[in-house]
Amino acid sequence: MTEYGAKPSVAIVGFGLVGRVAALELMDRYQLTIFEKDPQDAQTGAGTLAAAMLAPLAESVICDRILAEQGLKSIALWPSLLKKLDTPVFFQQQGSLIVAHQQDRGDLQSFEQRLKPLGEHQSTRVSQRDIATLEPELGGKFNQGLFLPCEGQLDNSAFFTSSYETLCCRGVDFQFTQAATIEADKVNGQAFDWIIDCRGVGAKQDKPGLRGVRGEVARIFAPEVNLQRPVRLMHPRYPIYIAPKPNHQYVIGATEIESQDANDITVRSTLELLSAAYTVHSGFAEGRVMSLNAGLRPAFVDNHPHIEVQNNVISINGLYRHGYLLAPVVVQQALSKGLL
Amino acid sequence: MINSHSEQLNIYGEYFNSRLLIGSALYPSPQIMQQAIQSSGAEIVTVSLRRQNSVSAGEDFWQLIKETGLKVLPNTAGCHSVQEVVTLAQMCREVFDTDWIKLELIGDEYNLQPDPFGLLEATDILLKEGFKVLPYCTDDLVLCQRLADLGCEVLMPWGAPIGTGKGLINTYNLKTIRERLPEQTLIVDAGLGLPSHACQALELGYDAVLLNSAVAGAGDPVKMAAAFSHAVEAGRMGYIAQAMPEKEVAAPSTPTMGMPFWHQN
Repeated sequence: MTEYGAKPSVAIVGFGLVGRVAALELMDRYQLTIFEKDPQDAQTGAGTLAAAMLAPLAESVICDRILAEQGLKSIALWPSLLKKLDTPVFFQQQGSLIVAHQQDRGDLQSFEQRLKPLGEHQSTRVSQRDIATLEPELGGKFNQGLFLPCEGQLDNSAFFTSSYETLCCRGVDFQFTQAATIEADKVNGQAFDWIIDCRGVGAKQDKPGLRGVRGEVARIFAPEVNLQRPVRLMHPRYPIYIAPKPNHQYVIGATEIESQDANDITVRSTLELLSAAYTVHSGFAEGRVMSLNAGLRPAFVDNHPHIEVQNNVISINGLYRHGYLLAPVVVQQALSKGLL
Repeated sequence: MINSHSEQLNIYGEYFNSRLLIGSALYPSPQIMQQAIQSSGAEIVTVSLRRQNSVSAGEDFWQLIKETGLKVLPNTAGCHSVQEVVTLAQMCREVFDTDWIKLELIGDEYNLQPDPFGLLEATDILLKEGFKVLPYCTDDLVLCQRLADLGCEVLMPWGAPIGTGKGLINTYNLKTIRERLPEQTLIVDAGLGLPSHACQALELGYDAVLLNSAVAGAGDPVKMAAAFSHAVEAGRMGYIAQAMPEKEVAAPSTPTMGMPFWHQN
């Protein structure tokens, strides 16, 4: 526990997206110890694999309005959160483009009908000419689409690197490859003033109803492709995003399968994702596959984030497919239970 | 002869009050899935195992299905060959402890149209292995006859391709199958979008409908499930009540005042 005059001690268990956001919020006021079961450079959590889309309007099609509104608030919080980092991380809010092949235009219509306007933020229909203006390299490829101006994205790979380096410089104590046991006010027998449980799917044994939802993504280096903003392609079974990151890197994802299997991506999913990207832009044909990954999104039965407080243990979990979209708001809500 | 099961849905000798079978995919959340299933009044729920990759990997989701308390009808969605279908059916029997299998064998990747040739082959194998096969098929009379000849007591012709929501695109074919296979339990599977589509299927004399996207993809899946439940009931009652014959000319239901009676007909 804290000695007189020292900063209060906080243990953060789990160093994925939520753990990092919490650590950045707390690093100036608390003495932090971070426990992570994987090595520092492991690429296993949902946050490392995600496309890091900030798409509240598009997600409003499948989630409650309240979550979509929280997503909108999160977008506003991300720039100040990224300012805490010692090195800049790519963040953009130039909207996203939704397109559909001719055969899937019914899905596009249905998608448009289901969008829930968020205050003044709405979608606008775009013609072939509008699409060419927004994304010149897609000109002539699609006859119609939707533009969602409020949406954005960030570079999660850079965020993971920069957040680790920043927290190291602030004297945070890291305990990697430490499978942590949380009991009362202790982590692995060590007492803390506060414990923030951010283990995601790793907390499955302790959280009834928590499940993993498999997602698979590809990261491609494609110098012939010049997309300015995330493009979402209508797909009969799940939305496929092509999210452009710096240096011509593109994250293409993600599948969504009700399975706890975190093993390697399947051939079928690889074909689906890459062929979808190729049909959007033929320049992906000569792109280089940097990585193909699979992971589990933590989710509860309602697919909503859950915050639980038990004495001095705060659990944040179940951000499902909305990690980047919701993390800043959900973490602030959780930490306001006594730490902020 | 009227027996105690005459107004129930018969699936291989098991009887059900609801004539709506419901799928478990594509809902906004498992919670909404559970609520929609309850709201539908369905007694049978279909579930896919294909993409979970292993028995343990899908356990959490299957547990949610089991919690509904409904009879589980495993399906082979996502399979593209006879061998895949047979292997998955055997796995389903282990996981769900049932010999029921909804047989889906995809012949065309884009519109998920069943492969009629592979379907016959797989059905034959699985019936001989003791499965109770519910084949998802196109609305082709000869295919349905061949499936019935193999021993299928239940057939599931499509209304339209999966997920299209177009309704019954070939009522002539569906009527013909009904007329020619009066002993089989016929379930329209796939392609429905509106409650009226389900109602129409039951009015044609189909024994039940199987839905997934129409409910899961609705703006309010729970309400839509209830709407389909009512529609199925209405359609069945309409069928039992026997519709009036169609006529080519109007016939007023009340005599027209001021017109001589010999001019009224």
